[in-house]
Amino acid sequence: MKKLKFPRKLSCVTLASFLLGSTSLVQAADIKFSGFLSIGGGFVDDEKGLPYGGYSEEDLTFDSNLLGLQVTGNISDKLSATAQIIARSSDDYSLNSEWAYLTWQVSDNTKIRAGRLRTPFYMFSDSLDVGYSYAWITPPREVYSLPFNNVDGLDVYSTGTLGSFDTSIQAYFGGFSDEVDFNGTLAPTKTRNQMGVAATLGKDWWTLRAAYHTADLWVDVTQAPLSSTATIGSFAQTLGVFGFAKNGDKLLLEDDKTTFSEIGLNIDTGRFVAALEHTELEAKDSLLAKRIREYVMGGVRFGDWLVHLTYSRSKDDTAHPEEGIPAGVALPVVGSTNFLIGTLQAVAATQVETRDVKTIGLRWDVTSGTALKFQIDDVDDEVDGDQKLFSVAVQTVF
Amino acid sequence: MKIFTPLLIAIPLLSFSLFSSAEIAVVVHPSSGVASLTEDDIARIFLGKSKSFPSGSAAVPVNQDEGAPARDKFNEAVCKKNSSQYKAYWSQLVFTGKGTAPKDGGNDAAVKALVAANPTMVGYVDSSVVDSSVKVVYKIP
Repeated sequence: MKKLKFPRKLSCVTLASFLLGSTSLVQAADIKFSGFLSIGGGFVDDEKGLPYGGYSEEDLTFDSNLLGLQVTGNISDKLSATAQIIARSSDDYSLNSEWAYLTWQVSDNTKIRAGRLRTPFYMFSDSLDVGYSYAWITPPREVYSLPFNNVDGLDVYSTGTLGSFDTSIQAYFGGFSDEVDFNGTLAPTKTRNQMGVAATLGKDWWTLRAAYHTADLWVDVTQAPLSSTATIGSFAQTLGVFGFAKNGDKLLLEDDKTTFSEIGLNIDTGRFVAALEHTELEAKDSLLAKRIREYVMGGVRFGDWLVHLTYSRSKDDTAHPEEGIPAGVALPVVGSTNFLIGTLQAVAATQVETRDVKTIGLRWDVTSGTALKFQIDDVDDEVDGDQKLFSVAVQTVF
Repeated sequence: MKIFTPLLIAIPLLSFSLFSSAEIAVVVHPSSGVASLTEDDIARIFLGKSKSFPSGSAAVPVNQDEGAPARDKFNEAVCKKNSSQYKAYWSQLVFTGKGTAPKDGGNDAAVKALVAANPTMVGYVDSSVVDSSVKVVYKIP
């Protein structure tokens, strides 16, 4: 977080005050650069098994690297502009502007931001890309599983005290458009009327967090293949032909009310660290399972070393897009309604994850600003079987 | 798991850190209405949790540069964080626009000069450099 200061106007006065050891240190209109870097590699135990965390080979590969650069410029005392640009190896190092927003510091304790912001879904959402800021190489993947983390809109962030406790509250409104991976197909996705609130309560070494979000969600799954000849879209039409249009709707993600809730606890006493989060995602009347995810982590610091253990799990509830279709009714072409019910249940089942992951990790703070991390994830998936991931990363901030 | 065994043995050996014995003084401008601060007040200001003194007047914290002995001692004693933890703490806030770390103001002499020239500033210096240009509001033995 070294700051390079560029006085906007190199007038004699500012120059002189800089040379004089500077009374203008605080007031100087400046541009701040901060950056972060993560170089990561890993290999799995069984390359015929489930790919995990972006790794699928038994040979060590280094393909989870990212470089981020953040620039903040003060426009005035109360107004600043921030942009964060990230290059990821998973994205062929193409530059992405993940955030770009204007901040209006309304008062000492309240700011309003407008632009592209990080959505405050999780406890570590804010610094998700800054591996240096937490213990793991990446936070537990079962919980941190949402494919989009940013929102275009505005938010209010306010900090305060409640008795002897520190509080913060963040509320936002916006929407988002992108393409996300759906069963191997890139599906155009958007949210509208997305809003949420995240609040924290803490004191010295602990912070409690709760968040609730709601949105109208569209994911165009119509092109996702069901078989060699059918897609989810064509099957939804077939359902319509047989008079089950309502079930066809339940198969699609079109304007479906979606909610996401989170509770979390973060502890850092200096010697001991611990964190836990529980999240639930539900898209009403869709094929998406209710995603119930949680983890608990504990660790001990020994000087510059931190050893930590995490247990995380996915325990999703299957959606029931087949509800309302009577069983065993004869139909032309497909034979019986049982075919429709079976297909709908099979599609819904692809959205369910039932998985336990045990993680042991080691973080070594090599110098202030640079951490070397090792991690072993032992994955036990109900459908895809067992897998182990061995990974290593160097993560820095500057 | 075999690889962890030598590390576990090495850990206790690495966990000793050397403290300098010099006393550190937390200082403000002589004209400041602040007479004294508690460790908690100071920690809140330096961790960005508060932007004012308990009296309500604005407080601008200034750090010593990274690597300065006073900085490490101050952060461990008041903020309860070693230099890595301190950096990790701020990296959670800086990259989100939720906070800005205190500026690095140089060594003992530079920080004293800054505080002596700015009525809102609060800094910390080795007690040996304290003179009438600043007012001591807290001491770390």
